Amino acid sequence: MDRRDFLKKTLCAAAAASCPGTLLSLAEGWAAPPVPDLAVVRGPSPEAITRAAVDALGGIRRFVSAGDVVVVKPNIGWDRTPEYGANTHPAVVAALVTLCFEAGAGKVKVFDRPVNDPRRCYRQSGIAGAAEAAGAEVRYVDERKFKTVKLDGLALKDWPLYEEILEADRVINVPVAKTHGLSTLTLGMKNWMGVMGGGRWLIHQRVHESIVDVARRVKPVLTVLDAVRILTANGPQGGRLEDVKVLDTVVAGTDPVSVDSFGATLFGIRGRDLESVRIGHETGLGNMNLDTLNIRRIER
Amino acid sequence: MRITTARWLVQIAFLLLFLFLFIQTESKGDDTLGYPVRLFLDFDPLVLLSTLLSSRGLVPGFLLSLSAVVATVFLGRVFCGWICPLGTIHNLAGIAAGRRKPVLPPGARKWKYWILFFLLSSSLFTMQVTGILDPLCLLVRSLALSVHPAFQNGFAALFRTAGDWPVPVLPALAEGLHDLFRKLFFSFREPRFFQAVFTGLLFGIVVGLNFVEKRFWCRYLCPLGALLGLLSRKAFLKRSVSEGCTDCGVCGRACQGRATGGDAREWASSECLACFDCDDLCPSGSVRFGFRPGKGGRSFLPGRRSVLASLLAGAAAVPFFRVFPGSRAGVLSGKLIRPPGSLDEADFLARCVRCGECMKVCITNGLQPAFLEGGLEALWTPVLVPSVGYCEYRCTLCGRVCPTGAIKPLSPGEKESVRIGTAFIDFGRCLPHAFGIPCLVCQEVCPTAMKAVWFEKGIVTDREGGVRTVKKPYVDPARCVGCGTCEHNCPVRGEPAIRVVSTGESRSKENRLLL
Repeated sequence: MDRRDFLKKTLCAAAAASCPGTLLSLAEGWAAPPVPDLAVVRGPSPEAITRAAVDALGGIRRFVSAGDVVVVKPNIGWDRTPEYGANTHPAVVAALVTLCFEAGAGKVKVFDRPVNDPRRCYRQSGIAGAAEAAGAEVRYVDERKFKTVKLDGLALKDWPLYEEILEADRVINVPVAKTHGLSTLTLGMKNWMGVMGGGRWLIHQRVHESIVDVARRVKPVLTVLDAVRILTANGPQGGRLEDVKVLDTVVAGTDPVSVDSFGATLFGIRGRDLESVRIGHETGLGNMNLDTLNIRRIER
Repeated sequence: MRITTARWLVQIAFLLLFLFLFIQTESKGDDTLGYPVRLFLDFDPLVLLSTLLSSRGLVPGFLLSLSAVVATVFLGRVFCGWICPLGTIHNLAGIAAGRRKPVLPPGARKWKYWILFFLLSSSLFTMQVTGILDPLCLLVRSLALSVHPAFQNGFAALFRTAGDWPVPVLPALAEGLHDLFRKLFFSFREPRFFQAVFTGLLFGIVVGLNFVEKRFWCRYLCPLGALLGLLSRKAFLKRSVSEGCTDCGVCGRACQGRATGGDAREWASSECLACFDCDDLCPSGSVRFGFRPGKGGRSFLPGRRSVLASLLAGAAAVPFFRVFPGSRAGVLSGKLIRPPGSLDEADFLARCVRCGECMKVCITNGLQPAFLEGGLEALWTPVLVPSVGYCEYRCTLCGRVCPTGAIKPLSPGEKESVRIGTAFIDFGRCLPHAFGIPCLVCQEVCPTAMKAVWFEKGIVTDREGGVRTVKKPYVDPARCVGCGTCEHNCPVRGEPAIRVVSTGESRSKENRLLL
């Protein structure tokens, strides 16, 4: 324990002691190291770093209970193979599916509403194969299952969203970090575009607000941002290996704004420079100020 | 087992194989399909011959079609009687129609030869319209563009409606059946085609003619039947009638190909479908089939003059079809966006048999049958209609299923350098350009490795005098491949603000855009 850690814990203890209700949780917190806000894990095995990130956040049982129907929502938007970094890394998705089952999940669903042909996206991304092998139910989106949901957001009054994500017991977001022409980057919050039905291209007219509007409705218990390979140009679809940067990293957290804010730094920009992150912070969806967060970095 | 029972089993087996391969003509997300889906077309000697004449080149399946030729020379029109899936459909329709006496004059059997000579003569003068009437092309096309889409549309609607009924069990049953049909019979997307009605109408007429006379098509119209008839004039399989014949006329009434008529002993091998119905039905057991060399009885070949006339008509049709300004690249052909890997228009038309395989397999449903966009000669040839479906950047299935090489098979790597057109932005309709509203969908979905759609930040002033920046898209014509993904996804519907035309397609020298 270094001095900073000691001070933090002492202060925490003082604060907690002043409100008796939290004494019990304090006792737990004291016994184990405190759970960080973000876990940033780097290492050569996508599977191992995913597992380490979830463990660092308190383990999968913190997020998934026995019998839960869990949706693990990757980005399967494009007809690209994994090395191009346009879709979530299949091993990251599969690792999360496995973890969910280890926590006793009853069913794990993996789906996305892709931009390119769904058959090619599911297959070429490697996600359908990997997730199915891990035991997930991988189905194509059924257009009949979009239900119009009241959002009362900044840009969207209502929008058809996918029933299965609304009805799931737990939702885990597994986006991939990429550049994007209009919104600069696409990270966690923008991944919910994949559960939007209808003519979703219209949201480009107010893309940042719309992203936050949907992110306020679809609340994941956990976001695992795949930065094993990030796409630094020609995103979100890519297609050139020279635009792909291998970071061998995942960023995990429970606050979607924090995860995206950290994700921005992988591209050398500040979270607050992304409109959706700033709006998410200002509307109280989450915290973008990384300097106030407990970030644990792990090398595997 | 009686030989006719065996024939029925073989016929049904081939029909089921044909339908199975037809259903498999659909992407599962891989670069290949896993089945030889165009197998029947590969065996079609008429496709081989007419393509050989029109393009002076061989079709990929030429060895298989040669085997069909050899089989016919020895065995006669067994293909028609035992294998042809359209023939089996006629057989079934004929049974449904009941027994009917021939109503057409005997000489009508010549018609199919006239049609054949017309088509081959046109082919010789480089115009390939054989596919309109070739039975296998006709069948695949009719199923792909019309029958199967209608089947799927109808049953899906039925299941959906049944699912909404407030009756116990019914919704679950409908959902279960819907899932089953999706797995076994349906395309991934509900297919929709322009020209569905017309292609279906032709098919309906062809099958419906069985109600005039059974196997009407095979007897009087089928050009492939005519070609096989010519080849089987000296086939070894021969029919004989022994002394015991009582002239009861059963064989003549049963005959499917109208190879025998009033006189039981009269028989034409060129018309015989080798169905063995006469052998089976003869009450006195006098009809026999056996193998021996020699001439195959009377033939119904048309006379020299009428052959010459049909040859001349076929030749004369070529310029009539072609005195049409649109056949020159760039005149009317802006919307004539051909599938990737298509040969230059003239060579493409010389090979395309309008079988519809490419349209069936097209992953986005974007390949559609042309009507008159490319002239009458190009009727029902494939064109990409991006508002219906774009060309999926890494998909190469259309070239893989093409039976004649009109669309070359490309590897995904090769395809990246093939340009089928160029996208142009309509600044008066584009949201950022025309109204200062952010959009940039075209840039996002542009699939080329270095995006062909790029943007710059521009300053716009609104009517209240407010100033803001908006990202405005532009097309880099050197990188655009004309896939139409941008047009398909453009939020400006009706007439999208970014549209692809064939300009700049790499298959054409005349239609070049850049120096």
